[in-house]
Amino acid sequence: MSEVLVVDDETAIRKLLTSIVARDGHHCTALPTAAKALSAIRGGAHDIAIIDLGLPDRDGLELISAIRAISAIPIVVLSARDATDDKIAALDLGADDYVTKPFDGEEVLARLRSALRRVGLKSAGGGQVAHGPIVVDPARHVATLNGAPLSLTPKEFALLHALAEAGGRVLTHAQILRRIWGPAHESDVEYLRVAIRALRQKVEAEPSRPRLIRNEPGIGYRLDC
Amino acid sequence: MHAPLPFAHRIAGYAIALIAVAVVTLATAWFFADLGPAATALLFLLPVLLVAARGGRGPSLTAAAASALAYNFFLLPPRYTLRVHGFDNVVSLIVLFSVAIVTSRLADRLKARLRDARAQADASAQAAEFAALLADKTDSRVLDGEALAFATSHFGPARLVTRGDMSGEASALSALDHGAAAWAADNGETTGHATSIMAAADWTFVPLHRSSGSDVLAIARPEGGGVRDAAQIAQIETLAGLFGRARDRLALEQERQARRRLEERDSLRRTLFASLAHDFRTPLTVIRAGVEALGLREGESGRPVLLAEIFRLERMLADLLGLARLEADAVEPRSEPVDLVDIVTDVVERGHVVPAGFGLAVVLPADLPLVDADPALLRQMLLNLVDNAARHGGTRIAIEAEPARGDRVTLTICDDGAGIPAGEEAAIFERFTRLDIGDRTGGSGLGLAIVAGFAHAMDIVIETGTAPSGGARFALQIPVFRGKALA
Repeated sequence: MSEVLVVDDETAIRKLLTSIVARDGHHCTALPTAAKALSAIRGGAHDIAIIDLGLPDRDGLELISAIRAISAIPIVVLSARDATDDKIAALDLGADDYVTKPFDGEEVLARLRSALRRVGLKSAGGGQVAHGPIVVDPARHVATLNGAPLSLTPKEFALLHALAEAGGRVLTHAQILRRIWGPAHESDVEYLRVAIRALRQKVEAEPSRPRLIRNEPGIGYRLDC
Repeated sequence: MHAPLPFAHRIAGYAIALIAVAVVTLATAWFFADLGPAATALLFLLPVLLVAARGGRGPSLTAAAASALAYNFFLLPPRYTLRVHGFDNVVSLIVLFSVAIVTSRLADRLKARLRDARAQADASAQAAEFAALLADKTDSRVLDGEALAFATSHFGPARLVTRGDMSGEASALSALDHGAAAWAADNGETTGHATSIMAAADWTFVPLHRSSGSDVLAIARPEGGGVRDAAQIAQIETLAGLFGRARDRLALEQERQARRRLEERDSLRRTLFASLAHDFRTPLTVIRAGVEALGLREGESGRPVLLAEIFRLERMLADLLGLARLEADAVEPRSEPVDLVDIVTDVVERGHVVPAGFGLAVVLPADLPLVDADPALLRQMLLNLVDNAARHGGTRIAIEAEPARGDRVTLTICDDGAGIPAGEEAAIFERFTRLDIGDRTGGSGLGLAIVAGFAHAMDIVIETGTAPSGGARFALQIPVFRGKALA
């Protein structure tokens, strides 16, 4: 059970999220403003925060940077905005994941689980990573799908490792490119597209209908299983 | 530079010369016994210096000649004759003439320099006045009017000849003037009256910029048949340059203001769209959660139908926002290399547009090139096309990509419904068009208009036709991504 902080100016959404997180056994504090959220996070009693980008007193993106300045608490963004820019900005500012309104309760819970798992992983230290049927062991440079070893190029291996480590969280194109190709290539999306295509040929049952490596159009990739 | 002295000034010079010589002659005659010839000769330098210092060679030489004659006639022995005795008398004559010439020349030069300096100061003051006049004008029409009025009051009738005037038929200029104006505009040189280019013209044409394509300031030939002097031409060129710069500044300022207004409008619009989306999606979220809770408590009956309606509302909201963007001309595609596999998968698996029980066939070749598109816009286009295909009385949808006809990938969406009626191929892309055929239901009438609008923004060509099954066929021709060489 975790302490969840919900920040949204709509009473109905606060009530809704409170009841949704209760399904997974979490306890929830719901606040309407960025100012109250910041002082709550300073208190340090929460394990994860769900933040709406459209807050009355402060822009949600600003709130994310303000939180990141004082805390490493996992953040899941609630976005009603169409603009992919806002989602990318939120992720780049340090949010762990996002959910688009109107959202599905199960989706919110899945995002919370992934984000909470990140904290667990960090403390466990980088060793073998497993996500669904995929297991990646960076020390031995071995990756398996349902136990069967995969023959991957170094870039494909690094890509699968990054996605598995994110544990279902979305990684933006730029985040992946920075990590694997280096900061100079963070906007060379075609490198990523080509590598993903090659990786899908090896891990997907039907590479043109991928179910494992999911793309969020305009934003990034996540492992879905 | 060396303008002749005024007539009155010269007459006065001659008079002063003669009077001064007479006075000196009288005075020296009176005191001749006490002075002696050497001192007397020196005294005769005084009228020469006096006159020469006023300037003008004629009066100075007159004074010198009069002095020499008077000195010789009245004072030099033998007195009352003009005979010259001895070498010293010749020397005194030479000295008198030399002093006259040299001093008058010096004086003339000094005066000319003073005059030039004064003229230059006047010209600078005029230019400064002109610049100050133009500096605070914020309306280009006012600026032109003030500048022309200033030029008219100082140089005579002035007008502005623009590029439009020169190409226009109804030019008030004669053929020669027209030619001179065009030359000035094309070459950035001053032409027409009082210049070396087409001097017979009735106007002097001064370009506002020293470059090709400049507008031209025209000043009429002075009244009464006079010729404009070079100094005035130079001054007009200076003012024309100032005028040109003032117009540039104003144009730049106006452009900046227009851009700022546009930016403010765009930012307002973005804020409005964002808050609209927020305001609509909040109740949708709550309703969706309510439907889910209903399903959890009372089983699945009825829930898929309610959910489908919620997704339709969500799509209509997206379409309305898309329409608002199109109407506001605010669609800014963020193109990137896109794998059609990603977009198609996202639409069919998570777009909630393919009804349960529909047959869906997706064929995407493994060697499909990446396309150049905005993924979010392309996703909404595809969502609308699949939604459209699902609402036309059929039961099957086929999405198929075939690689590269030239530099485009073709993505087709076919259904087995009623098809597009002949002659309506263009009408279906218009806003709020709902053709009265088959059992079309639930469309907002916006979906295909959004598709057409976004396609236009991303340089995607849409072809419509009939599918093999007789249903509708939409083919998107999407530009292939041409980036760096792929690994």
